[in-house]
Amino acid sequence: MSIEYNPKYMKHFYDPVWESFENGFWEGIKQRKLLFQKCAACATFSHPPRVRCAKCKGDRWEWVESSGRGRVYSWTVVRQEVHPAFRVPFEVILVEMDKEPGVRLVSNIIDCTAEELSFGLPVEVCFQEVTKGWALPMFRKVVA
Amino acid sequence: MSLKNKACIVGIGSTEFTRNAGRSEIHLAVDAVTAACVDAGLEIDQIDGMSSYGTAGIYAAELAPDIDVARSLGIPNLRYFGQTPWGGGACCGVVAQAAMAVSSGVANYVACYRSLKPASGTVRYGRPTAIPAEYRYSYYMPYGFASPTMWVAMLAKRWMHETGATREQLGHVALVCRENALRNPRAMFYGRPLTMEEYLHSPMSSEPFTLHDTCLENDGAVALIVTTPERARDLKQKPAFVTGVGFGTSRDSHSMTSFYRESIGLPECTEAAREVFGMAQLGPKDIDVAQFYDAFTATVPMQLETYGFCKYGEGGAFCDGGDRIRLGGELPINTSGGMLAEAYIHGMNMIAEGVRQVRGTSTSQVKGAENVLVTGGLGVPTSALVLTSGH
Ligand SMILES: [Zn+2]
Repeated sequence: MSIEYNPKYMKHFYDPVWESFENGFWEGIKQRKLLFQKCAACATFSHPPRVRCAKCKGDRWEWVESSGRGRVYSWTVVRQEVHPAFRVPFEVILVEMDKEPGVRLVSNIIDCTAEELSFGLPVEVCFQEVTKGWALPMFRKVVA
Repeated sequence: MSLKNKACIVGIGSTEFTRNAGRSEIHLAVDAVTAACVDAGLEIDQIDGMSSYGTAGIYAAELAPDIDVARSLGIPNLRYFGQTPWGGGACCGVVAQAAMAVSSGVANYVACYRSLKPASGTVRYGRPTAIPAEYRYSYYMPYGFASPTMWVAMLAKRWMHETGATREQLGHVALVCRENALRNPRAMFYGRPLTMEEYLHSPMSSEPFTLHDTCLENDGAVALIVTTPERARDLKQKPAFVTGVGFGTSRDSHSMTSFYRESIGLPECTEAAREVFGMAQLGPKDIDVAQFYDAFTATVPMQLETYGFCKYGEGGAFCDGGDRIRLGGELPINTSGGMLAEAYIHGMNMIAEGVRQVRGTSTSQVKGAENVLVTGGLGVPTSALVLTSGH
């Protein structure tokens, strides 16, 4: 099931807002790129972004484009409507990225039924247009 | 120097718990504080401090701001006022703040309270009516990931996968809370039994949770009065000593979306457990009865693990069949019915129930209860209390 939006209710949902130190991530999203924050000193990844590296306290960061590949770490299937903008049922997944240690991302899966979801399911990113202004990173199954 | 036994809870007060209280949060708070003063044997004007919490900014009427409550009670001055953030995670911290205030002489009698009316008001915790434009939500809201039930479901699903905990085991948490509520005339679910059959056949809201895995939504307020042991001697009730307090965030703490830690369980509870038991100089085996924050069934077995009543992965089995956690078992829990079955007052009703256990006045009284653990909300910065009879 793919997430389905009810456009009537969308207007106050998007636009994402963010802190100054998160610019790199969201500027990447605008260009349909998944960029993660990587410490220039000790190469530790961090998501969501922060000001100083938790490991070495450095504040110089690189924004590294992800392969977009990951695995389903957990998920929930939403069956009871909580807001009319989102038509139920839909799945929310937590993806653990393959190449960026410790990085997880909350998103939707667009080509999977609830029954097909499993722990460790390989997925890859695909940008989906949510409003005219925004396409957001979502995921689909990796076909072997 | 330690805060251990430097303060006690000497009064508890509550409004009715209902689907529609017919009055505002400020009004409900005033009624609960008044009831707590009566219970303690204290004049309202002796209150000179207030410790409160909510989820909104300090000017929102939804919070029942301390100055508005004090004004409506006619209290001439507050020598101490403080708010603790992070919703239900704060509840035990609110009492800790009051204990610090009275033990240091900043105030003499501090009223702690929480007042809320999600059942009939405009702010609903389970169902957002508008999504706040706040940076922390941009990673979640666009994906429809928009309610506490979904956020905790994500943690619980992973925890069930890692530990093998089952829906039936969660069901026994719901059933035991309901059993306790059936003995408690104040409870929203008084007179409304629940069977495993009903539990298992209830429709999913956000997997792995159904309606029966999530707390009540109701109107009401609960207040507590905190003072020093010396002042408690002149009051009406047997004091419940604040023997241990603990706060915890753990690393990489977010508000309900801490999905980026090595373990996405409840590491903030492990931190709060170390603090609260450390101060109390007591451990899990000394606890006679526990009031575990139960906005969701799964967080009860998860807390059994993180507060050290069993090892990681054993919490589900601990709840199996319900015998170890019901009245008469090795660790009776949530003896008022908890927030699954008594009322959802953001944990303040759980602390009041902890006080009743120390006094010996619970409707599900654990015989000879001396040491009570009360915990705050999970998946947010959290707090905990050990309340004792002071011996
Ligand atoms: Zn670093």
